Amino acid sequence: MTAPVLELDDVTRIHGSGATAVHALRGVSLTVAAGELVAVMGPSGSGKSTLLNVAGGLDTVSAGAVRVEGTDLASLSRAALAAVRRRSAGYVFQDLNLIPTLTAVENVALPLELDGRRRVRSYALAALEEVGVADLADRYPDEMSGGQQQRVAIARALVGERRLVLADEPTGALDSETGEAVLALLRRRVDQGCAGVLVTHESRHAAWADRVVYLRDGCIVDSTAYDVSPGSLETVR
Amino acid sequence: MAIRHGLLALLDEGPAYGYQLKAAFEERTGGTWPLNIGQVYTTLARAERDGLVAQLDVAADGRVVYEITDAGRHEVARWFASPVRRDAPARDELTIKLAVAVTAPGVDVKALVQTQRSETMRTLQALTRLKIDAADRPDPESDTAWHLVLERLIFDAEAEARWLDHVEARLLRAAASTTSDRTPAPDGTDRANQGSAR
Repeated sequence: MTAPVLELDDVTRIHGSGATAVHALRGVSLTVAAGELVAVMGPSGSGKSTLLNVAGGLDTVSAGAVRVEGTDLASLSRAALAAVRRRSAGYVFQDLNLIPTLTAVENVALPLELDGRRRVRSYALAALEEVGVADLADRYPDEMSGGQQQRVAIARALVGERRLVLADEPTGALDSETGEAVLALLRRRVDQGCAGVLVTHESRHAAWADRVVYLRDGCIVDSTAYDVSPGSLETVR
Repeated sequence: MAIRHGLLALLDEGPAYGYQLKAAFEERTGGTWPLNIGQVYTTLARAERDGLVAQLDVAADGRVVYEITDAGRHEVARWFASPVRRDAPARDELTIKLAVAVTAPGVDVKALVQTQRSETMRTLQALTRLKIDAADRPDPESDTAWHLVLERLIFDAEAEARWLDHVEARLLRAAASTTSDRTPAPDGTDRANQGSAR
């Protein structure tokens, strides 16, 4: 059993203080192993985005610990935390936030370049190849469809040796077929050994995950795991 | 009627005996609705009585080969041309359970909804996994029928999950308005949270 890629240990996040304090997360524990995709579902305001933000070091916890590949994010300096964000965790957002003045390959290469790596273009091209859009390497975001942009965003999230992908409604801006293709891609990358967290409000998208976690008012109220096929379905196929 | 017409439609493609029909029916529908062989023979016997099929041949081992009649062909064409009617809603245990639970004293409806939601999600996960496996098969085109059956089941499960979300949202709204009718919220935070959760 390898160490989990992501570990949230009794995490609480409180925004504000005193009478106006809002408990965005209350004692949330969650582990995500390599090769595992976990979906987080819940109504807006339930803490889904906060969970994703603390998991990726974009937000700090009020209590508890977040460990990425065994490293407690709270123990890191600002610079070291930024390095974790560049090297270990990748984000995919709903609004396809590629940088408009950079081409696809430049967008993907950016985290590597910020990290002072050399020959970043070849890594970035390989990442684009893996998500099936190598031929779009020199296009700018506004010259691509939403689905193509999201593929580029996934390539950027996973370029280099990053093993944790955090996706916030990655299919939100896409039509259902393109959305499905993006999920298939995310699923494949996770099957190849990444760990993934997918925030979504769509059951049919959450169903691509190995485990679905339900958040209500900052608490995990339930969680499911993929176990059995319904009845006769698996016997014939 | 689905089984009778399904079998008739298969016979429309050529004569067959009961076991072949059972196998073909299950193959076409991905084994989602397994038939027992007795059910197949009973259905065929009734169709024969109604003049829709006829015995073509009896093999040495006693197996009866059936063929479709003109009346049967006509019935198949009529079936394909008519919509499926849903006159009375099917008796659905979940709907009945929830309808009773919302007025029954002492039932934790929120927990009931969440328990069901997880169960529905497990079904959806299993179906999605089957769909992913189907897409990985070398010749996905030949599996179109199986794909369509799976997607139908996925849509059904998704609809159930949505309905459960709707039930929960409605109950929360109802609870919030009852609370505000009775007592002012002590500090406003809880109600503010519920409001923002909508």
